[in-house]
Parts: sequence; structure tokens; C-alpha cells
Amino acid sequence: MSVRDVLSPFAAWKHLFRDPVSIKDPFNREASERYRGFHQNDIEKCIGCGTCEAICQNGAIDMLPVSGVDGVQTRPGDSGLRPRIDYGRCCWCALCVDVCMTGSLSMSNAYKWVEADPDKFRYIPGVDKKHWDDYEHGYRRPEGHRLNAPERIEMPELEPGERIDSFAEIVGGYSVEQARLEADRCVTCGICVATCPTHMPIPEYISAVRDGDYEAGLKLLYDSNPFSQICGKICTRRCETTCAASHEGDPIAIRWLKRHITEQVPFERYRAIIGEPAAATGHSVAIVGAGPAGMTTAFDLARLGHKVHVYEAQSHAGGMTRYGIPEYRLPFDTIQREIDLIVSMGVEMHYNTRIGADISMAQLQQDHDAVVLSIGLWLGRSTRVPGSDHRNVYKAVDLLRRIRDGEQLQAPKSMVVIGGGNVAMDIARSMARLQQQQHGQIAITLTALEDKSHFLADPVEIKESIEEQVTILDSRGPQECMVDDQDNLLGLRTWRVHSIFDENGRFAPSYDDGDEMVHEGEWVVEAIGQMSDVAILGDELTEKLDWNRGRIQVDEDGRTSESWLWSAGDMVRGPDVVHAVADGHRTARSIHAHLSALDKQENA
Amino acid sequence: MMQSLYDRLKDRFNLGEFTGRRADLAFVTVSREQLRPLLLHLRDLEGFTHLVLLTAVDWIEDDTFQLTYLLNDRARARDIGVRLMLPRDDTQMDSIHDLWPTAATYQRELREMFGIDFPDSPRVNEDFILEGWVDIPPYRREFDTLRFARETYPERPGRETHDPATYMKQQLYPDGEDNG
Repeated sequence: MSVRDVLSPFAAWKHLFRDPVSIKDPFNREASERYRGFHQNDIEKCIGCGTCEAICQNGAIDMLPVSGVDGVQTRPGDSGLRPRIDYGRCCWCALCVDVCMTGSLSMSNAYKWVEADPDKFRYIPGVDKKHWDDYEHGYRRPEGHRLNAPERIEMPELEPGERIDSFAEIVGGYSVEQARLEADRCVTCGICVATCPTHMPIPEYISAVRDGDYEAGLKLLYDSNPFSQICGKICTRRCETTCAASHEGDPIAIRWLKRHITEQVPFERYRAIIGEPAAATGHSVAIVGAGPAGMTTAFDLARLGHKVHVYEAQSHAGGMTRYGIPEYRLPFDTIQREIDLIVSMGVEMHYNTRIGADISMAQLQQDHDAVVLSIGLWLGRSTRVPGSDHRNVYKAVDLLRRIRDGEQLQAPKSMVVIGGGNVAMDIARSMARLQQQQHGQIAITLTALEDKSHFLADPVEIKESIEEQVTILDSRGPQECMVDDQDNLLGLRTWRVHSIFDENGRFAPSYDDGDEMVHEGEWVVEAIGQMSDVAILGDELTEKLDWNRGRIQVDEDGRTSESWLWSAGDMVRGPDVVHAVADGHRTARSIHAHLSALDKQENA
Repeated sequence: MMQSLYDRLKDRFNLGEFTGRRADLAFVTVSREQLRPLLLHLRDLEGFTHLVLLTAVDWIEDDTFQLTYLLNDRARARDIGVRLMLPRDDTQMDSIHDLWPTAATYQRELREMFGIDFPDSPRVNEDFILEGWVDIPPYRREFDTLRFARETYPERPGRETHDPATYMKQQLYPDGEDNG
């Protein structure tokens, strides 16, 4: 035995008064900064899309209604549901945090929780308050770490130089590969469906793109929207504003995926996929106006077996999609295919037939079991500023119609457009093309009351107008269409806009008359809104009907105060194609219920 | 450094593509016949004496398992990953436990998690961590984790959930259409 062996037990004694290296209180130690502990959820940021539930491999997450809690409410863009986590199943993998579309879900580094009741280990983070709700540390999705591609697949489009001297369609359409990549970005949560006026089954048809099952996709489209080809090109796509992907990236290109489906299925297959109409019921319905609302109503009623007659004042169907939207956005053949399809259901078209002139409403009432009035908004509103009655002051809707009707307009060398909506952009861009073709240069000034951040036009329209050399001036209020001694139009005089609405929110623009500008123009075009040509109804019917601020009063199904008459589309809902489609469905359903009730009465 | 090593060995071991990750980390692909000679060469002549790990990836779309043998050269502080592609329908592989005894543990894990067999590897058929496992190997991508969790672990009473789109319809437009 060595000396060392004898002394060593005593050597240990020198450690007697040192601080221990072990942790004094292991039960109250904070976990590491990025520890995956109990969840936190910012419930104001959360939209209840349920993607966390969908990705959870343990089935640990439920989506529960929490409407009314802390301002959460079911509304467009928010389901009003929030995730509840069952910690008997959670394995703390954090896939739910990694996939979260808004970045609301995270994990605190709290890991300790003692409870006698096992059901307590199931709670809604952010709603059921916990002491770790405000913990600073825990697992957050690392910067740049995304399970979903945040950026949209770019749509092939004609460059400004390529498109400016023709009305060729600008958008090229996705290839199959591009569409699949874009469809792959969709988490199919379905939050968008409530926002679509006609509630198209968006997640389902996007899944069809992903699966390459285009015929199934087409069936889904046409069961909810007989204007799917058209909406695939020019829909105002409100759905995309509530897309879950838009919170941390670009929204899914829902409109372009719809378009892609319609382009992948050969047109001669459409009819077979959509299916045959039901057997004839013997009922007959008249529809006045062959726009999206009227033709959707016609499509639905014809599929249900009712005989439908559509009366149209113009030589072609399509309404504003045919006569209002420029060809570079919506080519004729797209519209024609849509119309042909609807007509193929047995709808009878009466073109160049104007109510009041060629046939009366009374006649329609007499000949049919129900009548639908869907004549749109075809009369342009005027600013009524001095000089606005000059022969070279036009309404945008009239010019657009003439261009689309094939008239060879002589474009003026310079022109001013009044208005900041899509119609203003449409006429400015159409005339820019004509100017380029006829004069080799573009001189168009667009003035709007709104400032740029409040323009009503689609931001894409504004961007493309600027690319096409339209000069856009915001916050300019029209004062006068200036005319010289020889009665030539010189242009538009404007003042800077102070504010558009008064303190009560009423339209009452105020101006700074010290900031005056004169915009040169051989023409001035007003694009400040439209109204309906209800004069065709005749005095008697006009008197009978209930009205609401210049619009025919309808109930929620589109029925007027006259039991035989419904009204649908822009004239009752305001201008928008997909709203008109939704309205058409609603009206058709109401009429079908009315006709079925008639049958029952007869049988009784 | 790694590129020159690859250039020297490329023809001799018929190596596939070279992926340089860093100056001190690269990956090469090798055939099943050449795996053992290559590993021996790397271990005994190039200084890669340490087997860091042996793992697998399931490339189900390509019908392939990828085995990765990661070797470390302590002296020169560099790593090489040797990749080997194995058809998913023929998942037998030669054991290397005689080159590195620790390989037996990795091979046992791969047998359990991916169903890749290494005949003659010690204790390869014994349970590793999944005691009493009865389903297909869980790291195979066709293994449906959620289905397994649902079938294996019963729900506590009181669970309910709602589909966002359906719930929003009930709340916002129960009759099929809103009026907006």
C-alpha cells in the first residue's frame, strides 16, 4: 500500500466547502432557449386554417370554435377556429410550428406541468391562458425555414413592347409543370371558399391540378361556375385576398389554376363532362340580358329541365364580359365557348331583341312562368362638370362597347381619362393600343380623385397601364372640360383633391384650387361609374316595382316585389362578374323552388 | 483536398458523382460490389479510421434506399460520405461489422427502422428500440404515421374537430349562398 492510498480519502475533504457543480434546484431550471415545450398561439394572428392539424402525425390537434373570445370571429379570411392540442399525443416534433401559415403558432420552453386530471393536458393555446403564454424563449420557426414555397410561380406574359400595338391576350397560361408547382403551394385549408361569391370548391380543384385529373377539376368548376373560363382570366379573385398563403408569402394563384384546368381539357370534352340537362319540366322562363348573371341563371334552369329564353339587345351574348372587357384581357373565343356551352343545354337565344322596342315586359310575363331581369349597368355616369356635354367627351362604357363591337375608332392624338377604377384602366389601355397603331405614339392622361393607395382598380391593372405609357395622376378632381372659341375640346382642367368624403362619410370632394392643372386632350373620357337603363321597363312596371336608391328592390333570392319577376347581376349587386354568377345561381334556385311549388299546387 | 482524393480513387473504385459540401466534407456514390474494397482502402490507406455513422434515406419516388457511410479522418480533420443506392425491393446489404464493430448497432437500427437486412451482422434481428413492433418499418415512407398513431393510441373521450371550410359555410352562408 502506498502513501497515496492512505492519504487520498482525506484529499477529498478539500472539496467539502466548494460550491457543488450539480444544479441546486433541478425542478425549477429554465430549459434551453429553443426548447420545444408547451405551445403558444397568437390568436389574433392565427386564422384557424387547420394546417397544423393536417400536418400533425400524432392526431394531437383539433380545431375548435372560439368565436367571441378575444375578438376572434368567423369572418372572411378567418374560420374562427383555433387549434387545441392534446399533450397525451403530442410528440413535440414542432411540424405544426414549421408549417403554420401565419407564423402565429410557436412553442414556449416551458416543459413542466403537474396536474392530477389528465383532461387538463388538452388546451387551446392563446385561448386557455397559461403562464407560459408570454415566455420569450422556446421554439420558433427559424428564419428562412419554410415547408411551403412562399413565392408564386410567375405567369408568362407578353412584355409591354410586345403587346402595346395589338389586342393580343397578354397572359399566356401556365404549363402543366408550372401549374403543379403552384398547386403544390396550396395547403387546401379552404379558408378562401367563403370569400368566393359563388363558393367554388377551390381546394378540391387545386388538388385536381396537383393530381393531373383535369376532367374532375373541370366538373368541379362548372358545377359551381358556368363562367369558369372567363373567371379563369378576369375574375376579381377576392379569394386570393384571404388565402392562407398570403400571410407569409404570395397568395396561391387561384385564378390562374382555374384557367389552367379549363385550358387542359379539350373543349369538345366539356359538354360530356358537365352532363345532360334533366328531363323537360314544361316550365318556361324568360331572361332579359345575356350577361354572366342572366346566362348563369339560364344554365342552371336549363340543366334542371326548364325551357329558357334569353332576350339580348346586342348581337352577341356575354354582357359586359363581351362588350366591356378589352380583348387583351379576355379574347372573344373564350366568351363564345362559354356561351355555346350554356346554349347547348337547350337555352334559346333571341339576339338583337330590345325590351320595350321589340318585345314588352308584359308580353314576357304573359308567355313565361317567371322572368329574370339582368340588364347590367350600361349607362356611363357623367361628372357633369362644365363642358362635359361636348361631343368629344365620351363615356368609357360606350367606347369600350364600340371597340369590342369591331368599330374602327379613330383615336385622338391625345386624351384624358377621368376615373381610377378598372373601367378607366380598360379604356386607357385600349385607346393606348389604338394610338400606337394609328399614330405610333401614346398620349393618355388618367386622372383620379383617389390617391394612388386608394385606387379602386386592380393593382395589376395600374402597373400594366403605367407600363403601357399611360400617365396616371392621382388626387385630381375634374373641374371643366375646356373648349375653345371654335368649339374644339382642349382638355380637362383639374384641382388637387383635399379629401373625397366629408366627416359623415358622404361623397363630397373638397379641392385645393391653388393647385390647378390643365391636361391636354382632344377627347375626355369619363369612367366614373355606370347605371342601369331601367327606362326599358316602361312606366307601368316601374310604378309597380319597389325601388331602393335607383336600384330595383330585391329580396335575398333576387325576387322583386312582383311575384313573377326576379332581378340579378350588376344592376342589383354592383359590377363584378363572379358576383353576377353567384347571383345567377341564387336566382335560379329561387325560381326553381317557385316552379316546383307550382307543380305541387297543380298536383294537389 | 477531397477532390484530389476523388480523382485518385474514381477509376479504381468506379465511383459515381462527387458532391463537395465543404473543403473537409464530400460525398461519393459507389456500387455494392465496390463498397467493401473502397471502405477498406479509405480506412487503411487514406486515414479514414472512424465510422461516424451509417444511415439511410428512403427515396420512395425513385424506388431506392440510399445508405450513407460517413467516415472521419481524425488526423486530417476531414469526412467522407460514401453513398450506396439499394433497390427498395431487394433490401439485403453486406454487413461491415468486421470493419467497424460499431456498424453492427447501426445495421440493427436500419433493419428495424427501414427493413434493410444485414445478414450475419451480430444481433441484427433483435429488437432495437421498437420493442414489440408489428407494423412495417416506420422510417419507410409508405408508413402512415398518422394512421398508426390513430389505430394504436385510442382517443381520450371529448375530442372533436371542425373542417375550416365546412365550419365557415355553416357560420357564414348556411343556405349555400351568402348575400354579399
